[in-house]
Amino acid sequence: MSASLAPECNEVKERYDSCFLKWYSDQYLRGKATTDPCADLFKDYKKCLTGALKERGIDKMLEEAREDHKESDAVNMRRKCKGVLYISS
Amino acid sequence: MQPQHHTIPFPSPTRYNSNKAPTYYLIPLNSSASTPKSTDEFKIAIMVKSYTKSYDYSYAFPTVCLAYFLRYPNPYSTHVLSSDVISRTIDEAGRLQTTRIHRKSSRLPSAVLKLLPQSVLGSVSGGKSESYILETSTVDVKEGWMKTESKNLDWTGILSVIEKQEYTRQVPNREADIFSATAGTTGVKTTVLFRSRLGDRLRARATRLGEAAAVEVDEEPKRSFLASWSKSGIQRSIEAIASRKTENQMGHAKEGMNVVLERLRHGGLVAVLDGMRKDRESMYNATEGAYKQ
Repeated sequence: MSASLAPECNEVKERYDSCFLKWYSDQYLRGKATTDPCADLFKDYKKCLTGALKERGIDKMLEEAREDHKESDAVNMRRKCKGVLYISS
Repeated sequence: MQPQHHTIPFPSPTRYNSNKAPTYYLIPLNSSASTPKSTDEFKIAIMVKSYTKSYDYSYAFPTVCLAYFLRYPNPYSTHVLSSDVISRTIDEAGRLQTTRIHRKSSRLPSAVLKLLPQSVLGSVSGGKSESYILETSTVDVKEGWMKTESKNLDWTGILSVIEKQEYTRQVPNREADIFSATAGTTGVKTTVLFRSRLGDRLRARATRLGEAAAVEVDEEPKRSFLASWSKSGIQRSIEAIASRKTENQMGHAKEGMNVVLERLRHGGLVAVLDGMRKDRESMYNATEGAYKQ
């Protein structure tokens, strides 16, 4: 599994990743998906990661990226954009 | 093909050379303003360079979708230090939306760094030797497509690189064949956009220093950097260097995916995770010391 940018989150990340990959390969990609059963594990991982993102100033970079996205949306107003950026914070 | 400066007719953006790669776009300098106010703003437009490439993976669509999330680490991606999921949701249409953040050990290409004056470099770099990439992806397993977008989170004041990929299922595959080698082909179209906003930064600095006219004035030696930039187009050089480097890395990205796909074919998820662990160990051994904190 890939490492987390915050070593202290590696353990919770690995637990979440394992759960996700199992669901993704066994259920979702076979068209059997219902809901994501790994939501609780993601919450734990997210809790750990949010602090790490703040500590490293990455939350601000993400905020800027979001602003940038809005800007380019304004410029490309006529072009219909299918992909939407989802960032929960 | 050498980039050329164009002034663009109103309104913008305008696309040139639409059938050939690389393609050049010109968009207004101040991207928040949808309609430039004067002709001057056209002259100092941002140049955007783009590449488009298509490739077919000889693996079924679901396998490629699985490999996409499993592609780091691989032997070709030793510069990717970490990958984290920031958000993951399923929308009403059943599409899986994922946002990830990757940490890379590389920064701007050194050839680009050499082009920059210390004053600009110092204020942007802060001595960092790593950078972050934001990756968003949408998988629609029913319709058989995956769209991804990756962009740099830092260094955006100098260079923005946005890579968009569109994966499409080529042959509808039966569920039983889902991870078998012969179940299908997946096409991928990659577009990379380069945009240097260095001009914005230099002009903003000039304005702050009360040298708003510096861009137009060539004579003063003190302002020679700004002048030479507007003349010879350091901005264009940055984009050219970065795109050459990216073309090379696009090959590596493809090779990396193929390694992961090959592992999936031979031993499924277990083989991939096993391979990942080994890659991670060898990466750690190689970088130990270099990234000691």
